[in-house]
Amino acid sequence: MPSPASIWVASARAVFTKDWRCELRSRYALNAIALFAVTTLVVTSAALGPAGTNKTLAINVLPAMLWLILLFAAAAGLPRAFVHEEESHTAIALRLAAPPSALFVGKLAFGVSLLLGIEALVAPLYLAVMSLEVASPGQLVIALVAGGYGLAVGSVLIAALASQARGRSTLFSVLAFPVLMPLLLIAIELTRNAVAGDPAGVALPQLLLYDGSVTIAGLMLFPAVWNP
Amino acid sequence: MGSVSLSFDGVRRRFGRVRALEPASGWVLAGETLVVTGANGSGKSTLLRCLAGLLAPDAGTIEHVEDGAALSPAERRARIGFVAPDLAFYDELSAGENLEFFARLRGLPVARAEELLDRVGLPADREAGALSSGMRQRLRWAWALLARPRALLLDEPFQNLDVEGENTVRSLLGEHLASGGLAVLASPVTLEVAGAVSRLDLGR
Repeated sequence: MPSPASIWVASARAVFTKDWRCELRSRYALNAIALFAVTTLVVTSAALGPAGTNKTLAINVLPAMLWLILLFAAAAGLPRAFVHEEESHTAIALRLAAPPSALFVGKLAFGVSLLLGIEALVAPLYLAVMSLEVASPGQLVIALVAGGYGLAVGSVLIAALASQARGRSTLFSVLAFPVLMPLLLIAIELTRNAVAGDPAGVALPQLLLYDGSVTIAGLMLFPAVWNP
Repeated sequence: MGSVSLSFDGVRRRFGRVRALEPASGWVLAGETLVVTGANGSGKSTLLRCLAGLLAPDAGTIEHVEDGAALSPAERRARIGFVAPDLAFYDELSAGENLEFFARLRGLPVARAEELLDRVGLPADREAGALSSGMRQRLRWAWALLARPRALLLDEPFQNLDVEGENTVRSLLGEHLASGGLAVLASPVTLEVAGAVSRLDLGR
């Protein structure tokens, strides 16, 4: 007989696989995120041109714009993680069958992989169209991975909270502001340091602390939010 | 199968100002069926959701005992089998993929999903989104029986089924009761069910 721990891992993996299988067949979140990311990239590049050649813009403005693009791309797709389960009534079967923490981790793994995939497409395009040179590419990758994880875990947690309410989309926006703002400020700072070639400073430990604390908060809050 | 019983006393629930369920009491033992009847809006579905642990009642007590141990709401959710009209599956997945997913969630062998699909007469490769209402109901039954629950909570369980489908699920229900399981069945009309039956009318 399988142990509770192995059932938990298998449950989380099953949720992750199911979400990707459904997503690859419906392409709802992928299309929404890709459309938003491409549109904002085109608009930004058309409006600013190769702004990376201007040192002041490159350090002060472009890192913030990159994270705004990623924020809105995430907001276009990740809230669906739980809202769709409620709206399509599949949440009933999930509540009865899945351990809540395994469900949260499975959804989080889906959100993280989706967002990191989008970052892998958007970030190089953004650097290219903006002619933005990065002095510390390794630090930029760390900023994108740690920041992307934080954006995903924050968005999935907020989506779980908002899915239980009536005004879901409004509530997502309201809750996203206080939860995601600190993350974005830290991620922008870390990205700015990467572009300028400055040391990561306190931004990296702050970002990792944010990721860890929101993950733990999600694991603790989610069962109470998900079940009556 | 070990012993099982389900009892509830004074269970009521409101949604805002609406009194969805007036205080309801009843019990059902192993091998028995409790048939809950009542008009539309009398609270049958609400009662079943409270019993399943999907809704917290505003007042009253629910005691689900298996092998002498009272189950918590979380344990009830994990142990019961549930059929309801608004229980839905993933339209993008086939009937077989849906059941396999839920089997994996519960740490059950995938063969159990295949066996149940065969019993209810559903093609495993048909997309859930393309199933007729009757086929969806068969899938709900297969899903409910996946973990071999001892307590079945059935909200309008024969809805949309053709004669063959109803005979099939009645046979599954009979096997469940014969093996020592219990069932609570909710319907707006009086239903005939084989075996030991008690009735609760929610009125209104």
